[in-house]
Amino acid sequence: MSFHKIWLVLKREYLTRVKSKGFIIATALTPLALVALVGILVFVNITDAEVEKQIGISDNTGVLYDRLTEINETRYLDVSNLSEDSLRSQVLSEDIDGFIVLDDSVLTYGKTPVMIYGGSGGIGFISSVRSDLRDVIREERLSRENVSEDVRNIFETRTGLEAIKLTEEGESEDNTVAASMVGFALGFMIFMGIFIYGSVLMRGVIEEKTNRIVEVIASSVKPIELMYGKLFGVLGMAVTQFGIWIAFYIGLSLAAAPVAAMIMQAQMESMPEEAAEATASSFDPSSLEQLAIDPSIFLYFLLFFIVGFLIYSAIFAAIGAAVENEQDSQQFMFPVAVPIMLGYFFNVRVMESPDSALSIFTSLFPLTAPINMVTRIATTEVPLLQIILSLVLMVLTFFGIMWLAAKIYRVGILMYGKKPSFKELGKWIKQS
Amino acid sequence: MAVIDVKNVIKAFGKTKAVNDVSFEVHKGRIFGLLGPNGAGKTTTIRMINHILNPDSGEITINGQQASPETQRMIGYMPEERGLYKKMKVMDQLLYLTQLKGMSASEAKKAINYWLDRFDASDWKKKEVSELSKGMSQKIQFIATIAHDPDIYIFDEPFSGLDPINSETLKEIIIELRENGKTILFSTHRMEQVEQMCDDICLFNQGEAVLTGKLREIKASFGKNTINLEFEGDGAFLDQLEDVRINNRSTNFAEIRVLNGQNMQDILKLAMEHAEIHKFERIQPTLNEIFISTVGEDNLKKAEIQ
Repeated sequence: MSFHKIWLVLKREYLTRVKSKGFIIATALTPLALVALVGILVFVNITDAEVEKQIGISDNTGVLYDRLTEINETRYLDVSNLSEDSLRSQVLSEDIDGFIVLDDSVLTYGKTPVMIYGGSGGIGFISSVRSDLRDVIREERLSRENVSEDVRNIFETRTGLEAIKLTEEGESEDNTVAASMVGFALGFMIFMGIFIYGSVLMRGVIEEKTNRIVEVIASSVKPIELMYGKLFGVLGMAVTQFGIWIAFYIGLSLAAAPVAAMIMQAQMESMPEEAAEATASSFDPSSLEQLAIDPSIFLYFLLFFIVGFLIYSAIFAAIGAAVENEQDSQQFMFPVAVPIMLGYFFNVRVMESPDSALSIFTSLFPLTAPINMVTRIATTEVPLLQIILSLVLMVLTFFGIMWLAAKIYRVGILMYGKKPSFKELGKWIKQS
Repeated sequence: MAVIDVKNVIKAFGKTKAVNDVSFEVHKGRIFGLLGPNGAGKTTTIRMINHILNPDSGEITINGQQASPETQRMIGYMPEERGLYKKMKVMDQLLYLTQLKGMSASEAKKAINYWLDRFDASDWKKKEVSELSKGMSQKIQFIATIAHDPDIYIFDEPFSGLDPINSETLKEIIIELRENGKTILFSTHRMEQVEQMCDDICLFNQGEAVLTGKLREIKASFGKNTINLEFEGDGAFLDQLEDVRINNRSTNFAEIRVLNGQNMQDILKLAMEHAEIHKFERIQPTLNEIFISTVGEDNLKKAEIQ
């Protein structure tokens, strides 16, 4: 193999792609879209309070309505003097959003109260009404039973759990939830990256065939050199794009908390004092500091993406060589799609229980490892030995798949006409 | 020593033998024509000479070296299926293709500029190929083939798809290259082009080389066994002739190959009885006729010969 020729092919693949408008636009717009999304989320968090609903309470117990207004002053309306029929018509005419008739039976027998409502408000609204009712009914029953203050306090305690991670460097505040989400997101990006950049490569191979330039190239370069050049050229473009995004993300995560604080400051100055206080308590800008990700995780991310991409892109290149247009490639996609989709589906399990046997297996199995190992690394402490083993298996798999794919590739690029069947692909492999 | 030496080459795809025990030599400073119908094995042979495919058995040497990446550099190859990157600028594209043939970037630039100048194409350097007309991109294709200044030029069906002007330009280039001592091999299924240009030929049929040699000698060896007849009047008498093969027939013209030693004067008499004769000439057979009589009418996919 001539490395000089591979380098020439690689350089062309890389430069034509990186200089293309599509690449520049996608590279620039994706983080902007991300910023916009985060901005919208922050903005929504700050400004959007649920529109207050009006619930009529027809209280036959005489005690529950008062307790409800203690919890929420504005939501509940005393409609005890109205008949059920007129309440129904009020709901239909949208004067009130719903009503609940509370009888002694809910207190004495624990009967489930019924809310008749207009259907708007969503799950959040219903569960908030439910929890209000649950609280007032429990309190009323406790007080009727003459339970002591101590016992009542017991009922009101909600025990949490603070997790602190102990490492060689000492104790640190644990943020497993954030880490899991980061892990899942990184796994997801590898999944998307393999698919998207793999398709870019496949289109490049098909393009050379349909442009009929491939035979000109084949008279100067060995097919395997051409294939390696294209693989690494597209890989270079992918790593460039991911690299820019990662750099951007690191910058953003460092700047996010102060910027959000600034936005909030500006928001609150324009708000009445009470609302501002409520906002301040609902959103803490310093929580954005959790966005910061350990840089070593990004290195693992790139490493596993690179090897994972190489494994799959060898298959993508072979598929591209076997067909003459993208539609025809569909029937050959399952060797790519099945393992990678499995990796994606398992990824939720891996995120939830990263140390389970399944997670260990899928993070070592070379076809799912690129996705699942990164998620594990971000979520839990993975023994270095497993990481190395996983990488070694992937590299071996790459050479195995490359060996097969190159055989299909070298025959396929010069074949025109009918699209081949799997049987014919088998023949190509034997032929060369 | 032969510039291209093909010895007992066999190449099979599955059960079909695309090239079956083919041998021929191409000599320096000559134009060599590879003839035969589509599917006769010409392209497969050319691909093996270009080291794109490897023979199953037999040997191919270029300037004494076995076909290899090194010999690829000695050859400028324009395949039948040819094209360029549509979205790439002309100059970048030519630089890329020429560098792949082993030239350094600066040498390549010089050579490309020379040829672009010669083709009045210097203004296109910064254009993408998709912006060029078909004729223009064909010129770029020539340049891509010849810019690295190889000793050997191989054109597979070079005239198919070329517009008449570029067809003429290519002919001139081929003749000029030969005058400069270069060696040219091209394949075609159009016999008349070979007659005009080739020094040596190799006839292919169904994977075998059925006839090889110097064009002039081959033609001479067949003798003047053909009649060129021009006449005016009813041509129906031609159907009465026996032991002949009429290859090229129109309302007032016929090319008659005389078989089994029939007396040509009898044909002339018969013709004079039915039509006014403008021309009666004994000639060497055309290449098309030679091809038919070599492989036999039965073995020929006739529709593919013109």
